[in-house]
Order: sequence, then C-alpha cells, then structure tokens
Amino acid sequence: MAVGLDLLPRYLDPLPGGKGVVSAVDVIVNWARAHSLWPLVYGTSCCAIEMMATGAARHDIARFGAEVFRASPRQADLIILAGTLTEKMADHLVTLYQQMPDPKWVIAMGACTISGGPFYYDSYSVVRGADRVVPVDVYLPGCPPRPEALLHALTELQQVIKGETIRNRRASKELTTAPPVDRMAVDLAAWEEEQDEHIAEVEANKAAWKEANPDFQAYKHPKLDKPKLEAVERVKTPRRGALPSALWAAVAERFDGLSLATCDEVTEDALAAMDADSEAILDLVIDPERYAALVGFLRGNEATGCDMLHQLTAFDDGEQISVLVHLLSVSQGHKVFVRCALEREAPTLPSLSGLFPAATWHERETAEMFGVVFAGHPDPRRLFVAEGLKGYPLRKDWSDPSRVVAREL
Amino acid sequence: MEREQHIEVRPPSAGGNTEEYWLNMGPQHPATHGVLHLIVRLDGETVREVKPELGYIHRSVEKMAENLTLLQNIHLTDRLDYLSCHMNNHAVCMVAEQACDIGVPERAEYIRVIVSELQRIQSHLLWWGAFAMDIGALSAFLYGFAEREKITDIFERLCGARLTMNYFRPGGVAQDLYDGFEQDARQACSDILYALDEYQRLVTGNLIFQERTRGVGILSRDKAIGYGCSGGTARASGLDYDVRRDDPYGIYDRFSFDVPVATAGDCYARYEVRMEEMRQSVQIIEQALKDLPVGPIQAKAKPVLKIPKGLQVFRQVETARGSFAMTAIGDGTATPLRVSYRSPGFMHVAALHEMSAGFKIADLITILGSLDPVIPDIDR
Amino acid sequence: MSEPAVPSALEPASATETVAAPTSAIADWIRDLCGDQEWLAWVVITLIGLGALAALASVSAMVLVWMERKVSAHMQLRLGPMRTGWHGALQPMADGLKLLFKEGLLPRTTDLFSYLLAPFIPMATALLALAVIPFSETWQLADPELGIIYVAALSGMSVFAILIGSWGSNNKYSLLGGMRAAAQALSYEISLLLVLMTAVLMSGETAMQAIVQSQEGYFWNWWLIRAPGVGFIAFIAFIISATAELNRAPFDFAESESELTGGFHTEYAGMAFAMFFLAEYVHLLVAACLGAVLFLGGYLPPVPALAFIPGPVWLLVKAFGLVFLFMWFRWTFPRLRIDQLLNLEWKFLMPVALLNLLAAGALRGWGWL
Repeated sequence: MAVGLDLLPRYLDPLPGGKGVVSAVDVIVNWARAHSLWPLVYGTSCCAIEMMATGAARHDIARFGAEVFRASPRQADLIILAGTLTEKMADHLVTLYQQMPDPKWVIAMGACTISGGPFYYDSYSVVRGADRVVPVDVYLPGCPPRPEALLHALTELQQVIKGETIRNRRASKELTTAPPVDRMAVDLAAWEEEQDEHIAEVEANKAAWKEANPDFQAYKHPKLDKPKLEAVERVKTPRRGALPSALWAAVAERFDGLSLATCDEVTEDALAAMDADSEAILDLVIDPERYAALVGFLRGNEATGCDMLHQLTAFDDGEQISVLVHLLSVSQGHKVFVRCALEREAPTLPSLSGLFPAATWHERETAEMFGVVFAGHPDPRRLFVAEGLKGYPLRKDWSDPSRVVAREL
Repeated sequence: MEREQHIEVRPPSAGGNTEEYWLNMGPQHPATHGVLHLIVRLDGETVREVKPELGYIHRSVEKMAENLTLLQNIHLTDRLDYLSCHMNNHAVCMVAEQACDIGVPERAEYIRVIVSELQRIQSHLLWWGAFAMDIGALSAFLYGFAEREKITDIFERLCGARLTMNYFRPGGVAQDLYDGFEQDARQACSDILYALDEYQRLVTGNLIFQERTRGVGILSRDKAIGYGCSGGTARASGLDYDVRRDDPYGIYDRFSFDVPVATAGDCYARYEVRMEEMRQSVQIIEQALKDLPVGPIQAKAKPVLKIPKGLQVFRQVETARGSFAMTAIGDGTATPLRVSYRSPGFMHVAALHEMSAGFKIADLITILGSLDPVIPDIDR
Repeated sequence: MSEPAVPSALEPASATETVAAPTSAIADWIRDLCGDQEWLAWVVITLIGLGALAALASVSAMVLVWMERKVSAHMQLRLGPMRTGWHGALQPMADGLKLLFKEGLLPRTTDLFSYLLAPFIPMATALLALAVIPFSETWQLADPELGIIYVAALSGMSVFAILIGSWGSNNKYSLLGGMRAAAQALSYEISLLLVLMTAVLMSGETAMQAIVQSQEGYFWNWWLIRAPGVGFIAFIAFIISATAELNRAPFDFAESESELTGGFHTEYAGMAFAMFFLAEYVHLLVAACLGAVLFLGGYLPPVPALAFIPGPVWLLVKAFGLVFLFMWFRWTFPRLRIDQLLNLEWKFLMPVALLNLLAAGALRGWGWL
C-alpha cells in the first residue's frame, strides 16, 4: 500500500477522535477507488465484444468513471475477465494480475470464467472457473452477459469497494496455491444430496395426502399444441466446376489402383451417379507413398487445377488415422478430397508445405491433435495446446481424467 | 511457472552496429484483437519476422463436438466466430440437412439470407471501428458500435440474444420473424447507407488514413491462393472468389449482387472491399425483403439427426471473414465421429508474416487489423 | 522595445501602471511587512508565487482532464463521467486520489534512479514555463527579456523525461516509445523554434509581456490577422508542432496505445504515472497559453470596449479554445507513422516555417508590420 495508508489506524486509533478520522479517510479513499476503476484491456472471446459494447455509446461505462481502459496492467485497477480462460492463457493471467498494483479487483464476466460454462464438459484446455487462478470479486453470469449486466457488476463492485476499510484489508487477495476445487462438482453433489432428501420428504407427504384424500384427482396439464410441420423436398445447390467423372478420368490416368471413399468400387454407374448428384464430391483414397504425388498432381494438372488447399485435417475411426485433404479449384469452383489412411503407431506422411504454404499450420495442428508426423515440415512446433498436455487429444483412445470432465451421455 | 522458451535471447546481428531484437506482442495487447501472441523480430522499428503464436483461446470445440449431436453443436459454433454466428450456424444446419436429407421451406431460406447479411454488415461495422482504432482514430470505434447496436437490437427482438444467436435449425429457423421486422431491417439498411457516407468523410477520405493504409501489407494473388486466404482479404488481392457466388448455398444464387474485387492487395484495398461488401449486403437484404414469401419456417425433420457411417459431409459458407467450412464424418450414431471446422482467419494470420515483413511496427498493427481476425475462430 | 524586465523577476513587469493589481498589492504589503529585509520579502514572494502557480497548474490539469473526458465523450455520442458530482466534475479528483493511494510499484528490472527521476521532470518544466505566461499586465510571475527563448528551452526539456523514464523502465515498449519521442521532439523543436522566431520578428519583442502589448487594440491587431498570411501560416505551423511537442494524437507516438500498450509509461504505476498524466495536461495548458499570447493577443480583449472583463479571463478563454482544438484533433485523426511524421516535418513543415520566417522578415524589413 502506498503512502503507509495501512499504518493510519495503528497511530490514529489510540488518539481521541482518531477512529473518526480513520473512518473519514476510509470513506474518501473508497469513494475515489470506487469511482475510478480503470479496467485492463483484456478480453479473450465473445464476452469481450459485450465489454466493448459496454464502453460504447449506448451503454457508456464512462458514466461510472470506468472508461479509461489501460493497456498496461501497471495502471489498471480492475480485470474484467471477458471470455473463456484456457490453460495456456492462465499463466499469463497470473502474470498480469501480479503486475497490477494493489488494490485490484476482478470481475469474472460470463459463464466460462465462472465455471467453464459451455466448455465445462469434454474440454481438455479450458480452466473451469477463473477463480482457480486469481481471486474473483464479482461473478457475472451470462453467456455472454448483456452490457447492462456488466454495468450492474460494476456497481456491485463499487458497493464492495465502499464497504472495504483500511483497518482490515481482505486477505483473499492473495493468489491461491491450493489445488483447485471443482466448485460446480461440489455444489452439484450438495444439491443432489439435498434433492434426495427433498424428494423423500415430498414423496412421504404425497403418500400421506393420498391416504387422507383417496378421491383426489391430480390436475392434468393441457398439452401444448405442437405445430404440424411438413416435410419439404430438399433442393440441391447447383454444381460449379468440373464433373467428378472428368476429374476421376484425369487422375485415374496417372494413378492406378485409386479408389473412392464414397463407393466400394469405381464403376461407370457410380461415376454417373456422382455426376448426377450435384453435391457429390470426388473423395479419393490414396496410399501414403503416393499421397504427396497425388496432391501435387491435383494441383499442377490443368484438368484438375486444384490451386487452393482449403483444409488439411485428420480423423480417427478407432482403427486408423486418416488424413483428409480438401482441395479447391478457385478458378473453376470444384472441390476434390483426398484421404490417406495411416497406422496408429507412428503415422508418417510427407509434408505438403512445399506445395501449399497453407499446409504449414494445418499440418502443425494435425500433428498436435493426432500425432501424425509430417516429414520435412519446416516448423514442427505445437500450435494450440499448452505444454504439459500428453498425448494427442483428438484420437479416440485419448483420455486424461485429470483435465477432462467427461459428459455422461 | 516454467514456459518453453521459443525465443532466443539474442538474435543474430543484422550487421553494422545495429542489433535485432524480439518483441512479444500479446497475448494481452490492445491491438491483437483478443489473445493472439505475435513474436516479432525487429530491427529498430522495422519488422523482420512475425511468428504468430496461437492457442490462448483454444477451447477444444472439435473434441467436444464428438460428444454432441449436430443440434447441440449449433450453439458451440456461435462461440467460434461470434461476429458471424448466423453464418456458422448455417454451415452446421446445412451439414445436417445434407446428411439427413432435410429440405428447408422458402421463407426460412429467405430469413437465413436476411439475417446472415445483416450480420455481415454488423461484423464489418465492428471491424471498421476496430481497424480505425488500430490506426489511432479513436472515435470511429464508437461510431461503428453505435450503428452496430441498431442491428443488434433487431437480432435481440428476433431471437433473444445480442451476440450468440443460436437461431438456425436443421430444416429452418427457430422462430418466425417478429411483426415489424421488415420495417426494422429496411430502416437499418437505410441507416447503414447513410452511415457509410459519413464514414467516407470521417475516415476514408482522411489523408492520414490513406497514407497509413495505401501500399502497406501487400499480399499478392499467388500468396493469397497459396495461403488459402478467402473473403475480403483474398478479394482485395485480386482473387475473385466468393462462396455465395462460386459455391452457392441456400438461395444465394437467386440474388444479384456484385463481388467487390481489388487488385492492390494492400490494407486500403482490403478496407475498400469490405466497405463495398456492406453496400452489397444491403442490396441482398433489400431484394430478399421484397421477395420474402409467407409460409412455414420449419420443415419436418427426424428427431435424431444421424450422419450415416463413413459419410463425409462438407459445407462451406461465406462468413464476414471468408470461407468457413464444416466437415462432419458420421459413424451412424447421433454424435458424429469427427467434426472439423475450417476457419478463414486461421489462414489469414498464417500469411501475416508474408504481408508485414519489411514494414514498420505500426504497419504490423494496421495489417493485422485489416485482416479482421477473430481469435476464438482461429483457435477453435 | 519595452523596458527590460527586472532580472530578479519579482517585480511586476509594468509596475509603473497606476492600476494596483492584486499581486502587486500583496507584494507591496509583504515588502512593507518585511521592512528592509529585502531577501525575506524575495523568498516569501517567490514561495507564494510558486505556490499559486502549482495550485493553478493542478487545478487546471484537473479541469483539463475532466474536459478531455467530457469532450471525447460528447464527440463520441456518449455522456462521459456522470456519477461523481455535477456531470462528473469530481472525476479527476477521484482519479487523483485513487492513483495517490495505489501501491507504489518498483519493478525489479528497472534502473531505479532514472525510473524515479523521470516523473518529476515534465511537471517541473511545465510549471517553470507557466511562470512566464502573462495573465494580465501585472499577473505574471516573471518576465525575463528572453521569455520566448526560455519557453522554447523548457519545451525541449520535457522530452528528457520521456527518454529517461523509458530507458529506466527497461522495457522494450517503453524504449521504443522513448526513442520515437526523441526523434519526434528533435525534429519538431526546429519548426517550433522557427515559428516562435516568426512571432518575435513580427512583434519585434522577445519578452512575453511585450509581445502581448504589441497586439494592443482591436482583434485585427492580433498577429494571427495583422501580418497578412504570415501570421496565419505561423499559427498553423505552431498548432502542428505544438501537437507534436505535446505528444498528442495524431502525433502520440511515445504513447501510441494501440501499438506500444503504454509507450514510455508502460511500467509506471500509481503516483508516478499520475505525474506524467497530469503534467501532460499542464503542458497542454502552457502550449495553449503560448499560442494565445503569440497569435491571439494574450490577455487583451478582442475589442477595447470589453476591457472591463479582466485579462486572465480573456487569456483562459483563448487558451481553452485552443485546448479544445487540440482535443478535437486527438479524437478525430488517425495516428501517423513515425517515418511519415518525420517526413512531414523535414520535407514540409520546416521549409514552410523557414519560408514563412523569411516572409515575416521581408514584411518587417519593408516596414509593412
């Protein structure tokens, strides 16, 4: 604390009238603090938009003296935790919190920062509740909360501040080192227990009532009128670009033994059916050896002309990891998919980053999520997840009970 | 807490008496539009290299999607690119419709188009304000928001939410339009056109603004294709591709609208393309409002939407940022085997280094702002 | 040329005036009290004067902070602070008190001496510059003969604060901000000096009081209008280079929040930050006062018939008008880039100011002024 404000009570309280002086200082200092809350520029996701909307003309957080958003934590008094907190960000949040000078306050804005919100279940990277990381003063529910709600949280925080005293600073401001408590799980367990008792009580009462009033007929709710929906025939969107059969002809000429994922055997009929279906896309299956050659051919060949790598990803069907490549012809408009099945143990593929710069990041993501090694990749670092996450999260056999709360289906 | 050291302490000298240095921008930085982390190698004020560092808002949406039905996935896509959530919802709904062969009533299709285009305007308004603020014009941000609120009001009356709408459903939309929607939408359109003229005088015509954006952050057409750029970013580089026109979905092929294309590939071109896109969206909305039919807004659909085993369904939509695609692979149950989202901003940020190397640090902010990234969309 | 000012800078410049202004009355009274012990009177009067200046500076800084927040708010269709007093009039008070009672942070990596020294410099230079601003014929703490040079010297000093502070902070953002500020101040100091020289040439005076007196009469005697064209160009050049000197948008490179988070004051917290923050506004007032004195007739009324309104009111009205102009710039213009800023100075503003100076000299030489 600056200027030894904490020392005031020690020296003034024994003096006659000193207590009054200390209280008066309390009132003035708290008034100043409550009306000059400068928030840190901090927003991770959706809630940040509503935080900005609060600062904008319609809602105008400036009326409460809190429009001075400071980019440097040194000058901020308040962190509005706008948006989901992930494990990778949590480290930085702690740093930011520690860089702020006392006194400082935290508003947990939105469901994500209160408990993980929509990302409570199944997520391997979200911190379920920002209060596991930094102490929170005001919890603001909503997903995302409305700007008015943020203003309400701010006024609530002002009330909290006005109730503080220099005699007894709250101790909860210290960063916690205790292991995190899953408050939602604890509360849920407590609620369930309570609910069990409650249900038992209600059931007993019901039985007693039935015995006393054997003729009683329970009120039956009228059924809501369900709108009768009619099935509508689906209109398929028209095709752009080359027909699948033409593309297949161009590819099959160069690569033999290719197959399609959509049909067991490539026959004239199957190709004609694909041509007739305007939404059908050629989905080539290739072996790992010729994978790079096929993609290079699709890119370079004039008939195929797939000049853009739309996406590169993979999926795990429980047995094999299949890498999916979505290619798009910008000039003609057609799409070609390539998939390549790999063994679970040490799946390796050549990198496409030489052909498409776009592949660099997609391959980093796929490597991180599925453990596919892309040989010759220029920058084989992790892309998304925090250090310390073991395994490949999007594989079907991956599990980590220490960080994932599985949803019961 | 121990963190991996990505950064060498002392980068190699550039020769002479100067020494290059690394600067960490973000994850908490006013210009990174959220929690993007840029590791920048600088020579004085000149940017030599940019390494974007992602994952600060990686929420494992794709993993969660494997345990959710398609219907439950809609609300998660709201939170990916929260400025284009109608369009994201559209992608999910189209995947479900294609997989389960569900038709969409005419009225619902029109509603989808109208709200999507309204949201495109809304998103561009926010981008306009944020971009101007990145350059230092602080008031523009507030003006953008003031206009944006008008559209937000319409959405709020329509579906009860200001930001995460969760409005589209496989086979239609959740609720019908409220009484007076058409009037509100028309009013919003004329307000936007008026505001755009005002913005022209306030920001576009400003000499400083032009100096700051012209010739800055040039992305060539080849690079744009190579990096998989889409949307306004790609169209500013001369890549004439708009999913609404070149891979039409919904009923977009019924409307006549221009796809603005610029060839300069700099920040000013991206700016102009997006400003023109707003006018085109107004055009689409007006056409759609004129033709809006009366009828049901929901088609009959199966109670449980299952993607057949092994079927790969791919649908892409044009969001405010570019081509957003959803790929779902079914395993015959109610929950898909794998859901993957292709976010447009992901590729734009990947190309950031190409655009910004050699420019000043202030230009890096301008370039990043002109790409209009939404970080949760990138990180997923 | 007016009479040379008294070097001790204590006696009011126009002590020969018959009107007894408050300061001179108080000064006379103190001199009477002290009798023949002149040194005591000197010390007491100096202290009172400095106290008055400090009070003026802090009050005006607070008013300006409030004004900035309200002006920006109303320009952005907002209301601005509303909950602290009438239309948030006590908002700067709340900010100041809060900053005063914040934890004083000393980041471990800083260079303590320079880190702690820097916040005091801008406030000191601003106060010292305020000392020579004439608020009326008699309300002026000091009127050195080379007053205008003195102000120019002080305005050059304030960049040291930014440099020292940014160096001492040991933060890359701060350092970048500091280096930008140095390059900027070095460049714009030149055109500012040229503009000041133009004013000197037009009026033929270097003392502040004398410059004001040279614009006596109706408002078309103000240098902005009186010197055809030259005065106007000089005024524009003054506004541009003063904005740059003040590090305000569109030239706020040292701070440039969207690029460098906080620029030179990234590492400053609590009171140290408040010093920078308030000094920025005192500097704003000084620059506005200087502009009013040089081009807008200082404390003189636009029409002699309005002379019943006291001089300080006129000066403050003009100064606050200029402050509003600076604020208008800040909330309207985008920021330039550092190299464009330097181009603007070296390739455009400085040649213009130089030619303007020559033109002023020519006008003076031909006796048209």
